[in-house]
Amino acid sequence: MKKIGLFLGCNIPLNRPDVEYSARYMLKELGVEIVELEGATCCPAYGTMPSLDIVGWAAASAWNLAIAEEKGVDTITGCGSCYGSINEAKYYMDKHPEIKQKVNEILGKVGKKYEGTATHWNFINYLHDNIGLDTLKEKIKYNLNGLTVALQTGCHNLWPSRAFPHTEENVFFPTKLKAVVEAIGGSAPNYSTLTDCCGMGALRSNAPDKSLALFKKKLEVIKEEINPDLCVTGCSSCLLQFDAGQALLAEQKKINFKIPALHIVQLVAIAMGAEVEKATAMASIPLNGVITKIKGGN
Amino acid sequence: MEEGGVNVIDLTQADESFIKELKELGAEELKECIQCGKCASTCPMALAGLEFFIKRIIHAANLGLRDILLEDSSVWGCQSCNRCVEVCPMDVVPYEVIQAVRRAAIKVESCPANTYEGLRNLYKFGHAVFPKGFEERRKKVGLPEKPPTALSNEELLKKYREVLRQTILEEIAPFPLD
Repeated sequence: MKKIGLFLGCNIPLNRPDVEYSARYMLKELGVEIVELEGATCCPAYGTMPSLDIVGWAAASAWNLAIAEEKGVDTITGCGSCYGSINEAKYYMDKHPEIKQKVNEILGKVGKKYEGTATHWNFINYLHDNIGLDTLKEKIKYNLNGLTVALQTGCHNLWPSRAFPHTEENVFFPTKLKAVVEAIGGSAPNYSTLTDCCGMGALRSNAPDKSLALFKKKLEVIKEEINPDLCVTGCSSCLLQFDAGQALLAEQKKINFKIPALHIVQLVAIAMGAEVEKATAMASIPLNGVITKIKGGN
Repeated sequence: MEEGGVNVIDLTQADESFIKELKELGAEELKECIQCGKCASTCPMALAGLEFFIKRIIHAANLGLRDILLEDSSVWGCQSCNRCVEVCPMDVVPYEVIQAVRRAAIKVESCPANTYEGLRNLYKFGHAVFPKGFEERRKKVGLPEKPPTALSNEELLKKYREVLRQTILEEIAPFPLD
C-alpha cells in the first residue's frame, strides 16, 4: 500500500478545510495511506523566514521535512507556497553542504536531523506521475461529462523548475493538470493567459487593488475565450483568489459574472463520490450547476 | 511618483556598500545583469503596475540606491513566483535580489506591518497564516477542531520555537521570543 505524509500548511487546514477533507477522501479512495505529520508547521511562507535569511528559511523547512523522514514517507501538499518554499529550501540544502550543515546544527539541538531523503510532491504531479491517469479513471464514480474547465496550475507549482523533483515538459505551457481533468471526463481548453499569475499572495496582501485588477484581466480572458463551467486550481492560494477574490470583484461590480472554482483535489474527490456539502463547504461562489452537471450525466 | 509625473533619480545617493550588502544577503550574481528585460516581460509586479518591478529593482540595486529601494514597498509585493529565475539568460537568479533587498530592509525595520504579523504568528502558532474561526470551519467538514500540526502538539511547537530562536529571527524579531 502506498503511504504519504499529508503536509497541510496554513490556508488548507485553517481557511479551506473543505480542501483538506477532499484531499483525505481522495487519497483514501486511491488506496493511499495518509501519514500524519505531527508537529508540522508553515512551510515557511515566502514573506516570513525566506525574507530574513537563507539558513533560517532552510531550517524552518527542514523541520518539516525531518518529521516526514522520521516516518519514512514522502510528503504531499495542495498549497503552491508549501510546494515552492520547501522544495527551494531543499534545493539550497542539497546543493550547498554548508547550509545543510548549519541547518543540522540547529535541528540537532532539538533532536532532529535533515537527510534529504523525502520527496515533496504536489497533487498535480502525484496524480499524474505517481498514481497514473489509468488508475485515476478506474476510481471515478461520476464522469465529468464534458464539463468545461479553466485551468490554473499556479506559479509555485511551475517555477523555479530547477528546484522541483517533478516538472512539466514546458513550464510555460503546462499540460499535467489538463491531462488529469481530461482523464476524469472534463474538457480543458487552452486560453491565452493560461500561466498568468492570479495575484493572490504578497501582491494581494500589500497592493490589494492592483492584485484584484491583475486577476480581473485574467478572468475576463477566461470568460471571453473559453466561457467555462468551472475554474480548477492546483494551488490553495489560487483557489482563494478564484473563489472569494472573484466573489469580491462581482460584489464590487467590477465583473458581471461568477465562475465557480475548485481545487483539483475537490474536483477529483467529488467525482469519486465525496460528500459535496463537505467537499465544497467554504466555497463563496455556488457550485450547484457544476454538481448537477457532474452527477446528472451518469 | 505622482501620476504622470517624472521620477527623478538622484545618482548622488548611490551607495556602493549597498551592492556588497545585497551580495552577502544572497544576491550573489547581481552584477551579471545586462538589463535585457526578459524578467520584466514575465513579472506579475510589472503587469500589476508596481513602481519597482524586478528589472528596475535590479537596476536600482546595481546603482547602489539604498534609500530609494528600502523606502519603496514594491519588493514586498513580489509573488515569489520565480518566473524571473526561470527565464533569466544571465543566471542572475533575480528573485534572490528581491529577497536580499527584503533582508536589508527588515534589518532597518523598513517593511510592511503584515510582515511582522506573519512572523509573530509563525513563532507563536507555527502557522504564519492564522485566520480566526478555523475551529468552526473544520467542524463543518467533520475534521477535528485543530489540525494535526504543531497547533495540536505543544511539546513539538516548543521545539519548533527553539529552532527559530537559533536563527536570525532571534536578532531581528521586534517582538519577544520566549
